[in-house]
Amino acid sequence: MTPSLHTILLIGVFAAWYLIFIARETARQRLDLYDFAMLSTVAVIPLGVVIFPQAAVRLAEIAGVGFPFVVMFGVLFAILFIFIHRLTVKIHRLENDNRLLIQELSLQRQAAEKTRTP
Amino acid sequence: MNQASPSYRVLLIIPCFNEQGAIAALLDEITVLGAGYATVVIDDGSGDRTGEIACQLSPTVRLLTNLGIGGAVQTGIKYANRNGFDFCVQIDGDGQHPPAEVGKLLQAYYQAPRSVIIGSRYLANDSFRSTFARRFGSRTIAWSLNRLFARCRVTDPTSGMRLMDRSAIALFASRYPHDFPEPISLAWALKAGLSVGECEVQMRAREHGSSSIVGLRPLAYMFRVLGYILLARLSHGARPRQIPS
Repeated sequence: MTPSLHTILLIGVFAAWYLIFIARETARQRLDLYDFAMLSTVAVIPLGVVIFPQAAVRLAEIAGVGFPFVVMFGVLFAILFIFIHRLTVKIHRLENDNRLLIQELSLQRQAAEKTRTP
Repeated sequence: MNQASPSYRVLLIIPCFNEQGAIAALLDEITVLGAGYATVVIDDGSGDRTGEIACQLSPTVRLLTNLGIGGAVQTGIKYANRNGFDFCVQIDGDGQHPPAEVGKLLQAYYQAPRSVIIGSRYLANDSFRSTFARRFGSRTIAWSLNRLFARCRVTDPTSGMRLMDRSAIALFASRYPHDFPEPISLAWALKAGLSVGECEVQMRAREHGSSSIVGLRPLAYMFRVLGYILLARLSHGARPRQIPS
């Protein structure tokens, strides 16, 4: 099983473009390094499979699945699941923090208005 | 006994969202009652004149944005905690909860102190009517609370009229559910070792606005609440924060 040059080029161009894109986002502090590492797997894993197809075949044998691409998508899915789990926790925490801040600001504004009122 | 004991400071927490048609009448009713209750209106980001009207009649906390009923009530509980109130009573801003009934909650507390006393619509099986789905949902939630928590005997866990003493105020100031807060807060209170009681109250039909829990929503509400209650039962309980005397 040897991927064609066309496939390697296609995946390679996508991987390079995506890695550059998320690297720039990280440099602009729109992503942190953890996000960069997790998202880069979307580019790195397909590239690894296409450059080293025998590794994917070997992994498929170890995992007991028939097709190497199932292993690739399985690994990608697991990584993205971890990423989404972390994001959900983070959003929930931010939501709580936001609620607490709104409560605090509102209570302090009321207290300040009360002290200003003669 | 309709009045609070002079040695106790009682705060009525009135969460409001777009209640400009009802809030003035409710605050007037509390004033006319003359029971010496302090009030705080929590304007939950209303888009109408609720906040302006309330500000002229009562201390009012105007939330910067809408937090929902749980966030609004918790703001009121924090206000009670910071201002050293002995009891707070949550009543709805739409006028469904007659302020005169607050005395019954206090009376029930004096007779048998409980950290949370719910004003029950169903205890005396009075004239209060609601849809079948709402009654079914409420009864199922009550049944599950009574089964899961040994010290719990409630008939109306979704009632928004309730009295909290200082231990409940301390607990809920630090931790209060934001979705479906009434029944879930009971589960949290019971898990934290607080006691819950009930007394019969009369409630009025809503005159302004409409309930958001209509159609099949009570059933969806019920299943979500049951999940939260089960989680509360299985989790480690939160301990109420100690309040310096």
